[in-house]
Amino acid sequence: MSASLSAPAMRATGVWRHTAPVLLGLGRLVLGLAIAAAVWEGAVLAFGIRPEYLPRLSAILSTIAATPEAYAAGFLRTLLETLLGFAAGVLVGVLNGVLFLRAPVLRDMLFPIFVVSQTIPVIAFGALVVLWFGNTLLAKAVIAFYLTFFPVTVNTLLGLQSVDPRQVALLRSFGANGRQILFRLLLPTALPQIFVALRLGSSLSLVGAIVGEWFGDTTGLGVILLQAMYTEQVTVMWAAILCAALLGTGFYALVSLAERWLVFWGAEQ
Amino acid sequence: MQRRTLLAAAAVAPAILPAIARAQGTQKATLRLKWLAQTQFAGFYLAKARGYYEAEGIDLTINPGGPNLLTENLVATGADTFGLSGGTDSVFAAREKNLPVVCIGVSHQQTPFFFVTRADGPIRTLQDFRGKTITTWYTGANYVLLGMLAKAGLKPGDFTMQPQQVSVTPFVEGQIDVVTATKYNEFYTLMTRMGRDKLRTFVAEEQGITFPRDTLIVNETTARQKPEMVRGFLRASIKGWRDALRDQKAGVDAVMAAAPSLNRDHQEFMLVEAGKLMTAGAAAQQGLFWIDEAAIRSAHDFLREHEVIKQPIDLAKTYDGSFLAAIPAADRMA
Repeated sequence: MSASLSAPAMRATGVWRHTAPVLLGLGRLVLGLAIAAAVWEGAVLAFGIRPEYLPRLSAILSTIAATPEAYAAGFLRTLLETLLGFAAGVLVGVLNGVLFLRAPVLRDMLFPIFVVSQTIPVIAFGALVVLWFGNTLLAKAVIAFYLTFFPVTVNTLLGLQSVDPRQVALLRSFGANGRQILFRLLLPTALPQIFVALRLGSSLSLVGAIVGEWFGDTTGLGVILLQAMYTEQVTVMWAAILCAALLGTGFYALVSLAERWLVFWGAEQ
Repeated sequence: MQRRTLLAAAAVAPAILPAIARAQGTQKATLRLKWLAQTQFAGFYLAKARGYYEAEGIDLTINPGGPNLLTENLVATGADTFGLSGGTDSVFAAREKNLPVVCIGVSHQQTPFFFVTRADGPIRTLQDFRGKTITTWYTGANYVLLGMLAKAGLKPGDFTMQPQQVSVTPFVEGQIDVVTATKYNEFYTLMTRMGRDKLRTFVAEEQGITFPRDTLIVNETTARQKPEMVRGFLRASIKGWRDALRDQKAGVDAVMAAAPSLNRDHQEFMLVEAGKLMTAGAAAQQGLFWIDEAAIRSAHDFLREHEVIKQPIDLAKTYDGSFLAAIPAADRMA
């Protein structure tokens, strides 16, 4: 009797032990946001800050509520551009890293060109990308990709090079082939370093997508931002900034979560 | 994708393009605007919403412009079929650089911007600009200002001219003395923040200078190979603009559907002002998009005089009124 009662109770306390810190953390986050919102709202009212400089948070939220579909469409569009550019950048970046490790000749040939490409301000590319790809989703994804692939390449290579050659020799002595060494040793060892680039890339790709939208498009947070900037609709501008912040933070959080899950031995946390 | 295919096709075999287009029945085309969606372009949006382009056999996509985008470039390369570009000044500049663009209509018949000072400030005449700080756009407006001040007897060293940033706030705050404003956009912001009676305006036309702006352009290949499509585009656009100017609510609605976050009051004001600019001058007798040769010649001579354009431009080749002339005058009237 007592045994049958205590087993679920013990399981419940076990679950509680795991979820409690998460809930506590979430609670603190919500509290922090609430305080920040209250300070914002209060400061604007108390100091009589004019809306041209900083509108009240409630005014910004009601601006979003007035035409929610415009912001939702912009959010989704920018999200899609960011994700596409990010995914392509990560894929190409990791491939580059592996390729450069295996073929130092290629590294010596291509790496300087990559560095040069990164010194060109992305804004200079914008007009060209529109010329090549038009007002397509692809054009924005390309700019997001352009900002993402380089940090991923560099960090992947760095991570791969940090592998202890004695470990490689050990695996080889056990008869492991190149592919096994890559997937069982090299990439896992480089993963913490790669994730440094992924977290960087998550915000860079968003910047790329928004900058891309400044070169003539119909939907997107960047379009709303630009439109508001030039018609001096300050609350709309802030609304777009809030949405972009939400998108950026959300994406960064997801990448960090993936890192915690994949790199559970986590050196970087 | 479409554009890349077009570019590739254009590079390989230019002769095939029109054949493909004809075979499809309706032709795909794009209109690149000079700026983001706003009622400055209401007629095009309304024409599209009401199917006027489709009726002409054109499947039109409207591409908004933006900062750092030059409509002349996009049309010259074929990335866009039609363009509503900066104005007579940017068309001159493009032709001087040998970009093969042709102007087929002019939207704003008069200079769409003016220079604004405080009504209660020390500036009452153009002579009072001496020693003052002025901000303006270095995309053409700066020459209009220099020209106006030259006629008033001021030399470039007599005042401080700075490039104008996005916001008119520095003027509202009193940090600068003169600001440049389009009649339909910045001036609305100035009025709402300061009040109309607090503002004094200086108009280029008062000094005998006119800068027609918002020019409709195509590239020479399109003009030569698809004159029927160009005429169809003009017919549909004019029809859309006549609707938008008569039923302004519908015009604003069409734009707000494309850009819902815009301020409706501002957009209503903008359409009224755009309408005034489009029906001013020779357009009052000749109809919308009229190419006023005298006004264009005077803008050309003015820019030559100030050496903004180094070589005279062949105006007859650059401004082609034949497409417009194919539409009966009665159908062009606003």
